[in-house]
Amino acid sequence: MFSPPSIHRAIKTRNRKLQSGTIISITTIAHPPHPFPKKPRTIALIELEDGSRVLGQLATCYPAGHCLFIGYRVLPRMILSHVTPQGLRVYEIAYELAVEKHAETFDESVFPRYILAITGPSGVGKSTVSTLLEKVCSRSMQRVPILTTREPKHGDDGEYYYVSNKEFMLLGKQGKLATCAKILSKNEDRHYGYRRSDIEAIWKNGRIPVVVTEMHLLEGLAKSFGRRAILSFGLLPPGKSRRAMLSNLLFRLRKRGRETDIQIHERLKNAVKELKFFKERAELFDHILVNEDIDILHKKIAFFARRNA
Amino acid sequence: MQRDIFLIGSGQTRFGEWWDKSLRSLAEEAVNIALKNAPCTALDIDMVIVANMLGEVINNQAHLGALVSNFLPHTPPALRVEAACASGSIAIHTACALLESGRADTILIVGAEKMTDINAEIISQALMSAADSEQDQPCGLTFPGIFGLIAKRYMHEYGLTRKELNAVSFMHHHYSAKNPHAQFQNAISPEEVEKSPLIADPLHMLDCSPVSDGAAACILSTKKKSSYRIAASKLANDTVSITDRVSLTSFSATQKAAKNAYEEAGITIKNISCIEHHDCFSIAAIINLEDLGFAEKGKGIEWYTKPITSSLSSVTSINASGGLKACGHPVGATGVKQLIEIGKQLESTNTRYGLAHNFGGACATCCVHILENISAPSIT
Repeated sequence: MFSPPSIHRAIKTRNRKLQSGTIISITTIAHPPHPFPKKPRTIALIELEDGSRVLGQLATCYPAGHCLFIGYRVLPRMILSHVTPQGLRVYEIAYELAVEKHAETFDESVFPRYILAITGPSGVGKSTVSTLLEKVCSRSMQRVPILTTREPKHGDDGEYYYVSNKEFMLLGKQGKLATCAKILSKNEDRHYGYRRSDIEAIWKNGRIPVVVTEMHLLEGLAKSFGRRAILSFGLLPPGKSRRAMLSNLLFRLRKRGRETDIQIHERLKNAVKELKFFKERAELFDHILVNEDIDILHKKIAFFARRNA
Repeated sequence: MQRDIFLIGSGQTRFGEWWDKSLRSLAEEAVNIALKNAPCTALDIDMVIVANMLGEVINNQAHLGALVSNFLPHTPPALRVEAACASGSIAIHTACALLESGRADTILIVGAEKMTDINAEIISQALMSAADSEQDQPCGLTFPGIFGLIAKRYMHEYGLTRKELNAVSFMHHHYSAKNPHAQFQNAISPEEVEKSPLIADPLHMLDCSPVSDGAAACILSTKKKSSYRIAASKLANDTVSITDRVSLTSFSATQKAAKNAYEEAGITIKNISCIEHHDCFSIAAIINLEDLGFAEKGKGIEWYTKPITSSLSSVTSINASGGLKACGHPVGATGVKQLIEIGKQLESTNTRYGLAHNFGGACATCCVHILENISAPSIT
């Protein structure tokens, strides 16, 4: 059962458990079997969001008598389950009580404030991922509106807050912008930024602010809040070479049909710089992920975010 | 039943922790007693069925059919069956099918298990092989853990209290004190149950059936007759993993097997005077009585907390042997022991019908047998 091949097979189906759920029943085992650590272990039968049920360990062990936890919401989290006799460290999905998490998040002194930043070249899928994250993890995550001086466009999905150049500059002077950047372009004069107050309001509500950034915005955020306050994801398009990645981006930008050919050309030029930036400023990223499948990608980000919490 | 099948002989060892006895010697002891009190000779046995779950894991002994067949001078055809804790009753069910089909006239059924040769940690892991290895085991769950989850849910749904649960083991020990074959022949107080070490919240050590050594053998025949006829033998199954169950607080395999058994015997629960049911954990005892039809949902505990009187049935004894908890639970032997015990109780009370209920895992396999004492008056 706990041989390396069986563990390998189990890992393949582990993602199924990566959902929040509700406790159906719960018990604390005083003497877990071999090869689990010899300390009490709390195990719950959990009904997941997709309606399936799983048995999972709770990340925290609760002493006997906690019958009240039945019906409570739990969130998945990856933990070290045990170490096999061969020395293989086996990680398993465990669950933690969402109420506890909420209780923590309302307490400003305890909440581990951080920003979830998604950086990548235009067309890589940053906005799609952030939208999905907000929908799937609506209890814990919220997108931060992007301040922009550009005109509204067909296809914008409510993520922008449109301001004039003058207003933007004034906010900058008053120190109300957490970060800002000017995107160089031959035919557009575009400023983007995030208001400090928007991020802090989301923290106050006990949620994690999700920001979509490019290299300058990410650097600005790291300066404003400190690098440790950012859980930073770099998104790459699929492809083994830079050329293949750019080709993929070109395909995606053309497919979404929001930009003209000239704009697409400029975005590809910027993308070359962004891809270089991933290598040059690797310290600004916690995880570099390839967007091959948007469903898997947003789940991965949500998982890392919960683990970080 | 398509043919009349009679229980013509039976024997069992005392259940317990027998360091000086092996799996083979336990089985041999039970077989010799059964043959001694049966109206047949060893040569009349034309088939042997052995029930055992963990021979390979604990005793490094597989091939148990042939091993037991060698106890008889003519080494009759033999096979071994395994269905976790339901192995014993499955062996009886298999024997009934073979007798009904005419493939055999007289069958020796032996349930044997030798569990105390290894430490508790390994036995716990071995027993867990009766659960789903991919869904239940990876999180570190044990069988007490599974029934801990069931107990917690039951308490949540029906308001059962820890204090009420104490009554189950208290009662089983009360009965086992009078059973010479029981592993524990001592009474305990309800408070002792709750004070014993915690195993899997809310279940304590005295809520759990023990690890035991023991064997039980019986002889069923269509050729030789006795006062005890198998009136029904029914098998039902459910999902192995509790994650695939709709309800944690009732076992559908018990409900199906019991319903079919009552139909096959042509009786209702009102005709049954004694029950031996599968109380592997105290919470299971409560759920069993509800699923067998002897109590409404949420009221099974009343059989243990109030005097045995019910408008639903004429039952006068429940787990008079002490059940699995107090009589002991050598896994493969339990189902066979239950049938033998029902025979003894029908004889001592001179009543007509008794029921043996045996399940494996978290009731993923369930077998219900109804034994009829044809010389006793019918209850109308």
